[in-house]
Amino acid sequence: MAKVEVKVCLGTTCFVMGGSNLQELNDIIPQKYGDKVELSAANCLGLCSINWEYSKAPYVKVNEEVVSEATVEKVLEEIDKQLGN
Amino acid sequence: MFIDIACSQKKKYNQNAYGDYFASNRFPNMNRVVAVLSDGLGSGIKANILACMTSTMLLKFMESHFDIEKSCEIIMNSLPVCKVRGISYSTFSAIDCYDDGNAKIVEEGNPDFIWIRNGEVLKPEYQSIQSKDFKNRKMKVYNIQLEKYDRIIFCSDGATQVAMGSKRYPLGLERSGLIKIILNKLEQEPEISSKNLSEYLVKQIELIAPNKELKDDTSILSIYCRDPRESLIFTGPPFHGEKDNYYAKTFMEFKGKKAISGGTTANIISRELNIPVIAKLSMNSGKLPGLSEMAGVDLVTEGILTLTKTLEYLESGNTEENAAKTLMDFLLDSDVINFLVGAQMNKAHYDPNLPIEIEIRKNIIKKIAKVLEEKYLKKVNVQFV
Ligand code: FES
Repeated sequence: MAKVEVKVCLGTTCFVMGGSNLQELNDIIPQKYGDKVELSAANCLGLCSINWEYSKAPYVKVNEEVVSEATVEKVLEEIDKQLGN
Repeated sequence: MFIDIACSQKKKYNQNAYGDYFASNRFPNMNRVVAVLSDGLGSGIKANILACMTSTMLLKFMESHFDIEKSCEIIMNSLPVCKVRGISYSTFSAIDCYDDGNAKIVEEGNPDFIWIRNGEVLKPEYQSIQSKDFKNRKMKVYNIQLEKYDRIIFCSDGATQVAMGSKRYPLGLERSGLIKIILNKLEQEPEISSKNLSEYLVKQIELIAPNKELKDDTSILSIYCRDPRESLIFTGPPFHGEKDNYYAKTFMEFKGKKAISGGTTANIISRELNIPVIAKLSMNSGKLPGLSEMAGVDLVTEGILTLTKTLEYLESGNTEENAAKTLMDFLLDSDVINFLVGAQMNKAHYDPNLPIEIEIRKNIIKKIAKVLEEKYLKKVNVQFV
């Protein structure tokens, strides 16, 4: 089965809009999914400035799916969905 | 040429105040450094006051190019007189030095300075000036031309007289003994910084002292003429996007140390030069995003938040372990600091929904440049692109 790729944006906008809390995923994801999910960070996914008038930062990408106003719960939900759990 | 200058001191054993005093000032815009080392009569508080007065007054006089003879007379006349000995006395060494190597040195009473070039000790000529009011005081004035990699060492007599009366050093270590230690060290570490060399010498002198107890205050002032350590910090996307490639290349071709402060900036350079940038998800970076990595770049941080914290640290001197501290250390490790500041606004930063107010990059960089120049005596260039 293909791995699920999770990219957490730690760019300035996302970080101050709550992205700092998403660093918890660093602990949770390996524990919960082992190597089925690959976690990485990005500097700015470029989403904050496209949509800046209705900013929905922080953003996380789960494969090609964008999770906006991301929280740890929302990201885990999306991962589960993509894994077909 | 950059004049690397540092002083290291150790108090006389069991005293609680330094009887030697060191003062210096750097004028980055005039490419000039002025420094004074003074040794006050006796030790402890009394000596400290004498030495401190001498150093600070002389420094001010030299800074303003006031005639050196007159300055010295004024200082000697204004020092408080010791009740016990009925004299007022402090010796000094002073240097006024420019980046092109032009230097003027004035000594009164301290051991002769040591000038080293290519492992050899030079013997410069000097002019001797007798004090009008004080019969026993004579100044030596040197006008010398320093070359790259030259070193100058000043010391107080605590250094040359250490261990005097011992079997091994009946007359103390003496200037010749000190020279031997210096040359030895320079052979092992030809590029040692002034700070490390002066600390090393004071440590050695302490080891020579019987029971490692210094009988007198001991100071070493070290000067090293070297290439400046330059660094370049690229922050913010360039105003004209079509010049991204040009600036990315300019940045990468820079010879000194390189840092990027800004995620988007890092992404631009990565895209233009096809070098991957890897952001790291770290748990303990606290309130600041952590560092990223990019081949050929010494440091990659987030932009505005990190710069704001760095400015705060530079101003207060208090730090925490995070990316801003790393950036601060990077800056303080350089003599000449260049900022390449992209002037494009990041619209996302002016979203009224953001929980904090984010300052305009330009302003933060201007403030950082100011504190680096004024408090840390760095040479700073800022270019907006
Ligand atoms: S900072 Fe996250 S998308 Fe720009």
